[in-house]
Amino acid sequence: MSLALKQTYERELSFDEVVAKYPEVPRLIIVKIDVQRRGVHYTDTALSVVDPKIHLVRDTGTRELFGGRAQEKKSLPISLLLRDGTSVITSPTPLEQNPYLVDLVNGRLALVDNDEVIEYVELWRRPRYYDLKTSSGIPMSHVLSARPQRLSLTLSNYCHFWTKNQGCLYCDSNRDSKQLKKEIGIPRVKPQDISETVREALKEPGRFSTFCITSGSILAGNELFDKEVDTYIEALQAIGENFKTKKFPSQMVATAFNEKQLQRLYDETGIMSYTSDLEVLNEERFSWICPGKAENVGYQGWKQRVIRALDIFGRGNVSSGFVGGVELAKPYGFIREDEALRSTLEEAESLAESGVPAFFVVWVPRAGSPFHDQQSPSLDYFVQLASGLHQLRVKYGLTVDFDDYRRCGNHPDTDLSRLL
Amino acid sequence: MPIQLSQEVVSLINDKGAFKALATVDESGTPNVVQNDSIYVAENGNIHYLELLETSRTNHNLVRAIWFDRKVSIVVSGADQKSFQIKGKAIEVHITGPLYEKHYVEIRQRLGDVDLSGVWVIQPEEVIDENFTNRKNEEETKRPFFRHLDRLAKV
Ligand code: SF4
Repeated sequence: MSLALKQTYERELSFDEVVAKYPEVPRLIIVKIDVQRRGVHYTDTALSVVDPKIHLVRDTGTRELFGGRAQEKKSLPISLLLRDGTSVITSPTPLEQNPYLVDLVNGRLALVDNDEVIEYVELWRRPRYYDLKTSSGIPMSHVLSARPQRLSLTLSNYCHFWTKNQGCLYCDSNRDSKQLKKEIGIPRVKPQDISETVREALKEPGRFSTFCITSGSILAGNELFDKEVDTYIEALQAIGENFKTKKFPSQMVATAFNEKQLQRLYDETGIMSYTSDLEVLNEERFSWICPGKAENVGYQGWKQRVIRALDIFGRGNVSSGFVGGVELAKPYGFIREDEALRSTLEEAESLAESGVPAFFVVWVPRAGSPFHDQQSPSLDYFVQLASGLHQLRVKYGLTVDFDDYRRCGNHPDTDLSRLL
Repeated sequence: MPIQLSQEVVSLINDKGAFKALATVDESGTPNVVQNDSIYVAENGNIHYLELLETSRTNHNLVRAIWFDRKVSIVVSGADQKSFQIKGKAIEVHITGPLYEKHYVEIRQRLGDVDLSGVWVIQPEEVIDENFTNRKNEEETKRPFFRHLDRLAKV
């Protein structure tokens, strides 16, 4: 193949070309995907209207499992909202990587690309409890983080797979948990801190519609992960003290537990849904990219545990997430996007047939991860992936109410499923 | 193109006693009409519609409207045969934030234990006076052929 021909073949379609190619996919969701893929850069004019008392800005004390694409320490807005209520969870990105600009246009914040306004956007708002401290003196913003409609609790941002250097290769969860602790002295939150923070958060009418709890994997215990399960139960019981019903809209994004562990979680807490991420929907690539998960549970073992969780949580309350695009990572990933797409959707269909919807996050090579110098696939790829996953949900009658545009906001495919 | 509603239309929409309905279309173009009291004109002239149910056909159709640029229509009728139809575009939905919270609190005070899915913002693009007498006079003036002869016969 001549070089010129090869370059033509490999040329990525532009945003406008992708929008024109998929008229059945909303332009707003394509905007979201592309902004997630390319990241954003806030201009100084845009930053002049960011008010940390009103808007959610990055705070090194807030517990988040993952970091971003730039090792950014400035107080920048956390994320954006589009006019259809779609969240765009994206990270600040160095200008040389060609991000979208967030600029001030006609007095409003706008996503701008090549001097053209793509969409006007809003910033996420700071909840009132962020101004308060727990009775033990911890800022409540360090206990629970907020999204436009979700409360999130990250129990630990250290994942034990890293202890044997077997963390997932796209992941930066171990990037600075020790350093964070040293720098700003975040102590371990106690159940009482959690309970008090939830109580305050619920005082804001209509502010939150779900609770998400997650943690890095903890391998310890009589049985593998027992300690992680205990930690969740303790925290969920503290959260549950604040609700008048035993069960409350909530999601646990956790390791693949066995049935005994899942039954305990379901019986002893108010948790309503369970997500355990397969991360890469291909056994061979999973084993390479997620060595810790592969060694401790294995791809088939993980998948079976997720499927068996249906018996406990029920259809519509179990899912598995993956990092869309990482199946194309070099050097052992798929070489061609069409092969990767076919394989990923086939595996997603096998999960869907069993009653488990799979959904993805847009892979963004994170600065603190082993894959930091790789590249995300094309916009076209992600749009087909989002659309394909949504179509599987239509075909198999699956819903993802606990992880949709409002209750999560990080999955382009579940944004599409708000029509289910 | 966005238009400014006249004071007469604004007052009628904001009248608590007026009848209001919202029409949307689904994927296949099938219309769906709901009567709804929670339709208001905001200070900037856009119309706000409060949707209480995430899964209602109207909500799904509004999502389609904002995603695929489809129009919606509102009819409002009050005393003295006053009636207007407003066609417009769903341009935004508030699912969080100050406007959402204000309506969330108010609707729960008004209706009890209900939820609020979103506050839809509809930008008016056309107003049609649906008062029957006005419409009849207009048609008979502009299109005089559209009358049966017996109506004109000497009695
Ligand atoms: S399981 Fe993998 S992706 Fe999740 S926190 Fe651990 S290393 Fe990161």
